[in-house]
Amino acid sequence: MKMPGRKEIERLYDAHAPALFAFLLNLTRAEADTRDLLQEIFVKLAREPKLLAGIRQERAFLIRLAHNAAIDLMRRRGTRERTKENFAAEIISPFAPTSDPDEKIFRDELADALGELPPEQRAVVHLKLWGGLTFEEIAAALEIPPNTAASRYRYGLDKLRGRLRPLYEEMKKAE
Amino acid sequence: MMNDEMEQLERRLNHQPLRQIPAEWRGEILAAADVDRRNVRAFTSAATIGARLREIFWPAPAAWAGLAAVWIFIFAVNFSMRDSSPRLAEKSAPPSPEVIVELRQQQRLFAELVGPRETRDADRPRIFTPKPRGERAELVAV
Repeated sequence: MKMPGRKEIERLYDAHAPALFAFLLNLTRAEADTRDLLQEIFVKLAREPKLLAGIRQERAFLIRLAHNAAIDLMRRRGTRERTKENFAAEIISPFAPTSDPDEKIFRDELADALGELPPEQRAVVHLKLWGGLTFEEIAAALEIPPNTAASRYRYGLDKLRGRLRPLYEEMKKAE
Repeated sequence: MMNDEMEQLERRLNHQPLRQIPAEWRGEILAAADVDRRNVRAFTSAATIGARLREIFWPAPAAWAGLAAVWIFIFAVNFSMRDSSPRLAEKSAPPSPEVIVELRQQQRLFAELVGPRETRDADRPRIFTPKPRGERAELVAV
């Protein structure tokens, strides 16, 4: 079995790391955790040559790795938080900073609203809105039926709409 | 109406730019992956050698174990022989020059103390004159 060389790992990183970073940051909301998980994924790819054998959709496969790693981390972190050891952890927005005050308010609200979604809905919403994946691709990546992916998306979007509506309408009036 | 609102919201959300991955992570993460890849390669090479050795030894483990036992016996015998050989060498080795000089001095001193050596009767050489058998028989009778 041929091992993935350094060049191959570099190619995978350049092709997928930005998308994985955004996805992981949206799930973990902590830059340090996101970095750890991203490194864990690429070390795993370098260590286990069989992982990518016969994989046609690299992105979907890597999202599955990232999702599983993030869920494991959140379970561990949940235990830590229950024992009140993680108060100093910095919560980071998955959105780019902006100098426009209105946009900043909207992005902060959106980040908070996303943070309130259950992880399974947040993952689907992220992959649909910012990952550019179809429900079939999301279903393949997260190992769920396409209908489940679609319904999680609808539920998630409904919650976001309810949470953002006052701000959204205010902004529309101002326009 | 509801669908329009949802579509607008989707579009609005869709256009929100995401935070970019820090550029310095690339080098750090790829370096960590590379170190791990090389470690795995070294481990795989060692495992391959181990597998080949197993292929050689596995078909007849009893024969290889017997051969190993014979070699252990040979080494044991060899070591025990090597252990006694220095003593034999010590026994057969000639005395050192200092010892010889000391012995000669002692002999000389002994000779000076004892004086000239007198030869005893027993030590004197007998003059033997061969005689005919008949004469010897007469002497015995007398």
